[in-house]
Amino acid sequence: MSTQPSTPTQPEPLPMSSTQSTPTPTPTPSDGSNPIREAIAGAIAEHDVILFMKGTPEAPACGFSARTVAVLQALEVPFAAVDVLPDPRIRQELSALSNWPTIPQLFASGELIGGCDIVTEMYESGELAQALS
Amino acid sequence: MPSPQDMKQRIEAAIPGAHAEVEDYTGGGDHFRATVTAQAFDGLSRVEQHRRVYEVFADEIGGPIHALALTTQVPSTVPSN
Repeated sequence: MSTQPSTPTQPEPLPMSSTQSTPTPTPTPSDGSNPIREAIAGAIAEHDVILFMKGTPEAPACGFSARTVAVLQALEVPFAAVDVLPDPRIRQELSALSNWPTIPQLFASGELIGGCDIVTEMYESGELAQALS
Repeated sequence: MPSPQDMKQRIEAAIPGAHAEVEDYTGGGDHFRATVTAQAFDGLSRVEQHRRVYEVFADEIGGPIHALALTTQVPSTVPSN
């Protein structure tokens, strides 16, 4: 049983839990481009709801990530999930992109909704259901 | 290793008029919970309010500060009796 939406099967350098693909470390190119940051930005743009977390929705590796997954599952919101743990550069580039230092990070329609505290607060007030609908 | 008292003072020094309560909720000196009330948060989104607090600790988050759970709020207008 999975709450993951189907994801495109194109080559994806991020460890998306919905694709079961093995993350492939991408060498840093010398031409100044940043493939990890671009892949993160692309994933945020492609998925209506995407969660960057430690571990996977089935096996969260941190209590804050687990709580955020539980909230999304309680709302029955389909979401894509990216595990930041396999490559520390994912977390570095994500935080640089989002200007947000902690994990998890939930995005909807390309915008940062927040971390575990904000997600929990918005769930309890009913705002999250609206924001993700 | 930051202490809750040190963190409270730094938040209150960085955000004018802020009142902060900081708790070391595991007792291990690295997982903290803070409630910050500040008029300066008025008009800011929750994400922006949390960023204001995270900025105080910048590089320490993910380092000596493993977790900083946050609740931010604008002071409520208390009706006078």
